Amino acid sequence: MSTVGSVDQFRHSFCEEARDVLVDLESALLELNENRADAELVGRVFRGLHTLKGSGAMFGFDELAAFTHNLETAFDEVRNGRLAINSELIDLTLTALDRIRVLLEDNAESAAAEAGARAEILARVAQMIGAPKTVLSEGSPTQATSPAGAIRDWHIRFAPGADLMRRGADPFLLLRELGQMGGLSLRASMAALPPLAELDPERCYVCWEMVLATAASQDAIQDVFIFVDDCCELTIEPANPSEDRGPGELLKADATARALEEHRTEGGGRRTYDKADNASSLRVPAVKLDQFVNLVGELVTVQARMSELAARRDDPEVAEVSEEIERLTSALRENSMNIRMTPIRGTFEKFRRLVHDLARDLDKDVELTIEGADTELDKTVIDQLSDPLMHLIRNSMDHGIEPSSLRTARGKRSTATVHLSARHSGASVLIGVSDDGGGIDAEAVRKRAIEKGLVAADAPLTEREIFALLFQPGFSTAKQVTDVSGRGVGMDVVRQRVDSLRGTIDVASKPGLGTSVTLRLPLTLAIIDGLLVNVGEAYFVLPLAVTLECIELTRADVERANGKHVANVRGELIPYIRLRQYFGIASEPPAIEQIMVVETESGRYGFVVDEVLGDCQTVIKNLGRFYRHVQVVSGATILGNGRVALILDPERLVQEAVRTLAHGPRGRPVAVSGPGRKRDGP
Amino acid sequence: MPLELQQNEESSLLCLEGLIDIACAAELKKLLIEALSGAKEVRVSLGKASGLDVTAVQLLRAAAREAKASGLEFALAGTMPEPVLKALGSAGFHEFPVSAGISQVSGVG
Repeated sequence: MSTVGSVDQFRHSFCEEARDVLVDLESALLELNENRADAELVGRVFRGLHTLKGSGAMFGFDELAAFTHNLETAFDEVRNGRLAINSELIDLTLTALDRIRVLLEDNAESAAAEAGARAEILARVAQMIGAPKTVLSEGSPTQATSPAGAIRDWHIRFAPGADLMRRGADPFLLLRELGQMGGLSLRASMAALPPLAELDPERCYVCWEMVLATAASQDAIQDVFIFVDDCCELTIEPANPSEDRGPGELLKADATARALEEHRTEGGGRRTYDKADNASSLRVPAVKLDQFVNLVGELVTVQARMSELAARRDDPEVAEVSEEIERLTSALRENSMNIRMTPIRGTFEKFRRLVHDLARDLDKDVELTIEGADTELDKTVIDQLSDPLMHLIRNSMDHGIEPSSLRTARGKRSTATVHLSARHSGASVLIGVSDDGGGIDAEAVRKRAIEKGLVAADAPLTEREIFALLFQPGFSTAKQVTDVSGRGVGMDVVRQRVDSLRGTIDVASKPGLGTSVTLRLPLTLAIIDGLLVNVGEAYFVLPLAVTLECIELTRADVERANGKHVANVRGELIPYIRLRQYFGIASEPPAIEQIMVVETESGRYGFVVDEVLGDCQTVIKNLGRFYRHVQVVSGATILGNGRVALILDPERLVQEAVRTLAHGPRGRPVAVSGPGRKRDGP
Repeated sequence: MPLELQQNEESSLLCLEGLIDIACAAELKKLLIEALSGAKEVRVSLGKASGLDVTAVQLLRAAAREAKASGLEFALAGTMPEPVLKALGSAGFHEFPVSAGISQVSGVG
């Protein structure tokens, strides 16, 4: 790997990691707000700030490092019992984290205003810790953190690992930071240096033996290496005062380096160098993962063709190899999908801050509880969940949860609860946002919907249908628009986003007791369990999750229905859509067709096809920008015979087909009625 | 160009300017190999270098060792800027370039 021009890449990686640290810091601060005597939480905040400061300085975010240093000092004071945790410190630190986020964005336009905001925060921090002044710009942060105490000597051996330099870390900077902690004598050993031709130019082969005389604790010394400790060998031991600390001692470094190199090359490779637990996790850009999954998708397609070819040839050897490839491909596909799965914890934890801030702004007492944070789902799905969840939480806190006084008057606990939950349910994941607020007034929703002309005044609506109206564009029952919600935009966004994720929304509410919104989402967007069907030469895939059953449609059945596209399924009338007609496929239908019955939000519908070929698990291919407006098709897949099959979106197809076929733009007008026993269709 | 190699039949002169760090490590290695393969003596000029990181130090040390094994002369031409020497000293590379096995000649800087 070449490192030329990759500094930006490291800075980008740092920013990504820093954002994760910020999320964890926020979460720790909010927990600390609840449990102010928890030393472990104080330590977590301190370490988070220290990591931000150290790695920020290393990647050239000097202002960020200097700013964070002062916050770190405050929490060092807390750690040492010289400063007590209070709401002001928590709020101040949370605000400071927001400023750090802005620093990560590196937005030049707001630079002046931001610098002022940071200076104000630092002045308040300084006031709190009683410090005479704070470091406001670049400097040597560590110097100020050296605690006063007895000075002692430490033996430190530091051997960078193979990837330390490639990760953008510079051992010289670490040594400089150590030097700022006290008196440092050191010697670099190059005994492990290989011949020039074999030398990896981007790897550090040098190891350092050092004696540091400092009043700092072992933890503080260890903290200097906090962001490289997974890619180096480090020992820090108290030095024996009687030992000779002269050059003779340090010369032992050469022998150590040779021994280390032997250890590195054990097993014939350099890979044994890193600590075993270093491989526990690895940060990979999502785009690389997408490419990988895409390639696996291609492999699956080729493998399907291979299986089909093998089946046509009467050659047991080819059949055996083909089966083996099929088994391996299947395992590879499953593995590649698992790699994309990440716990939803990070997304959930982010909302602690939102709830904290909103509760303060709305003057309500609200706690956030989280359940099932380790539930894993596809990263693409997780990335798109933040917005809908944010709107749901804002809505819940603004409109759902009553003011404390009203809650008390109603005999409820004055502290309200917003509960976030996640759990798996088959091939779906259920994400819940519930509250113990006042619930939704179904009648008010219905009235508002009538006022807005969304439903007819006499339309018989079930409670579920009424709640579904909340997600219509521009719908809001809020008596007044607040900063938080009430404009009727948020819920529409929720609906759109969940639709794009091929998910569904379910709302349940009990007046006076609270509301629960459940999002049902597919575990992954990259793969689909489907049912392969054909109409003439055209192939389609229907999502298995929505297909209910398959029934035959004979010509006699068609005649019995008097031209209506309705099938009688055990006494229930199911309207059906002829895919041949909808897609304008010219071939003649067979004598006996098949109706695939699917469940949609508008009820049960049937899709008439020629044959049902069987179930299939397919990798979804995007149709590309050119077809982005074709909403009835959610993607495509390539079959084993090389043909393309379109993956249908039954929900959209029903809506679209009912609309277009009723007006007959694709052919002669046809009668399509709504689902049986429900209500009349359009 | 921070790295420049001038060669004739007898000698190679490698001039390093500015910050010589991991960003140009692969290029430095290539030029050092080239310099060693085409001459009886190799001179490295660090007079205009503003800093060296550990990758640069390693490469110079490995090249000096290689030159010695092949009976070539490998020396630093001119003097090195004081801040660079000081930075190397505080990173444990005392008495660079001698400690790295590189002899020093005057003349080119």
